[in-house]
Amino acid sequence: MAALFSGAPPQGGPGYSFKQTPTMAPSGERQHGFYPYTDNGGSTLGISGADFTIMAGDTRSTSGYNINTRYAPKLFKIGGEGPDNKGARIVLSVVGFAADGDALKERLDTIVKMYKYQHGKPMSVSACAQRLSHVLYNKRFFPYYVHAILGGIDEDGKGALYSYDPVGSYEREQCRAAGAAASLIMPFLDNQVNFKNQYEPGSGTGHDLQAKVAQPLPRDTVESIVRDAFTSAVERHIEVGDGLQMMIITPNGVEETFTPLKRD
Amino acid sequence: MIPPPDGGACVAMVGKDCVAIACDLRLGMQALTVSNNFPKIFSYGDVHLGLTGLATDVSTVSDLFRYKVNMYRLREERNISPQTMANLVSSSLYERRFGPYFVSPVIAGINQTSGKPFICGFDSIGCIDFAKDFIVSGTASDQLFGTCEGLWEPDLVSCACSGDMG
Repeated sequence: MAALFSGAPPQGGPGYSFKQTPTMAPSGERQHGFYPYTDNGGSTLGISGADFTIMAGDTRSTSGYNINTRYAPKLFKIGGEGPDNKGARIVLSVVGFAADGDALKERLDTIVKMYKYQHGKPMSVSACAQRLSHVLYNKRFFPYYVHAILGGIDEDGKGALYSYDPVGSYEREQCRAAGAAASLIMPFLDNQVNFKNQYEPGSGTGHDLQAKVAQPLPRDTVESIVRDAFTSAVERHIEVGDGLQMMIITPNGVEETFTPLKRD
Repeated sequence: MIPPPDGGACVAMVGKDCVAIACDLRLGMQALTVSNNFPKIFSYGDVHLGLTGLATDVSTVSDLFRYKVNMYRLREERNISPQTMANLVSSSLYERRFGPYFVSPVIAGINQTSGKPFICGFDSIGCIDFAKDFIVSGTASDQLFGTCEGLWEPDLVSCACSGDMG
C-alpha cells in the first residue's frame, strides 16, 4: 500500500562501505568506489518532564535487510567517573551511522571528563549541548552521519533535552524522535506530549474550539508513551525492533532499563 | 518514470459499527500551495472513495468511477456495496497494469446487507489491502501509520473516530 510514493525501505540492497565491486571503465581501467557511510537503521526518542528526562532507543542494528546484532545500544552515558560513567547526569543518543555514533560518543565523553578534570566541577547540560554542536560543526564538510539527542537535568533541576542535525544545528525541545521511524513516532509525540490537534471537549466547534494546553507529564505517563511509540514503530518499520533501551535521568542519577521488543 | 505526486493524504478507519474516512484539502506542487480546497474523498452512494497521488489522475479516476457506479446502479437497480466497489476499483486499476493511474485509493463504507463496516486500500495497479483496523495513503502515509498504530484500538466510538480524541 502506498509503496509508490513512500520511500521504499532500504534502497539498493545492503549498504556496505565497499559494496560496489570494482568496475571496468570503457577505457579498460578498473574503477573503485568507496562509500564512507552506512545506514544502520533504528530509532531513538527523548522526552523531558518537570524534573526528569527519558531517553530511549531500540537495540537493533541493520545493514539493508540484514540484522547485524539484536543488541547494539544507541544510548550512552556521558561524563561521570571511569569507563562505566559512574555518577553521570548526561545521556547522548545517536542514530544513523553507528560507527560515527560511537566515535561521537567517545569524543563527547572525553570532552566532558576533561572539563571536570580542568574545572573541578561537572559540565552543565547547556554547556555540553553547545559543545556537542561545535563538535558536529567541526566536521561540517565530512559530517558525523548521525541524528543526536542529548538529555539531562538543567541548572534549575528541570528536565533538559537537545536535538541536533548531523552538522550541529541544535534546539532545546520537550520531545524529539530521530532515526528510521522518526516520521512514524514524531506525529504521535506531537499529539500525546504537546497535545497537538487536541481540544477541550465541549468547547464548541470551529473557531470556538479551545486547544488543550501542554503541561509537563508525570514520569509513568511518559514511560508508557515511549513504550507505545516503540511497539507501534516495530509493527510498521522493519529496521526497528529486538529491544528497547531506556535511560531515565533524574537529579539522583541515571536509571537504565531494557525491555524486549518483537524480533521479527 | 513516476511523476511526483501533488501532495495529499487520506486515512480510513474502522470503529464500533462505524467507519471514518478523512483527507486533507491541499493541492500543491512540492512546496507551493496551489489550492486549499481540493477534496480527495468522493462518495458513491454507501461507498466513499479516497484518492491520493497525481491530482490529474485523482480527477480522472473519480470521474471514471462515477460513470462506472452510475452504470452499475442502472443495471442492478441498487447501490453498490463497499466490497463490490473494492473489486471494481481493483480490476479497473489492473486494466492499466502497464500504464497505471498514479493514485493510491482508499475505500470506506458500511455494507447495507450485512450492516458491517468495511475498509480497504489499494496500490496504483489494484492490489487490495483488506485491513481490519485502518488504511492510510498519500505523501504523509508514514506519519499516519505512526499515529494510527499508536492510537487505534478496537471499537472506537464515532467522535473519537473522526479525529477529536481526548
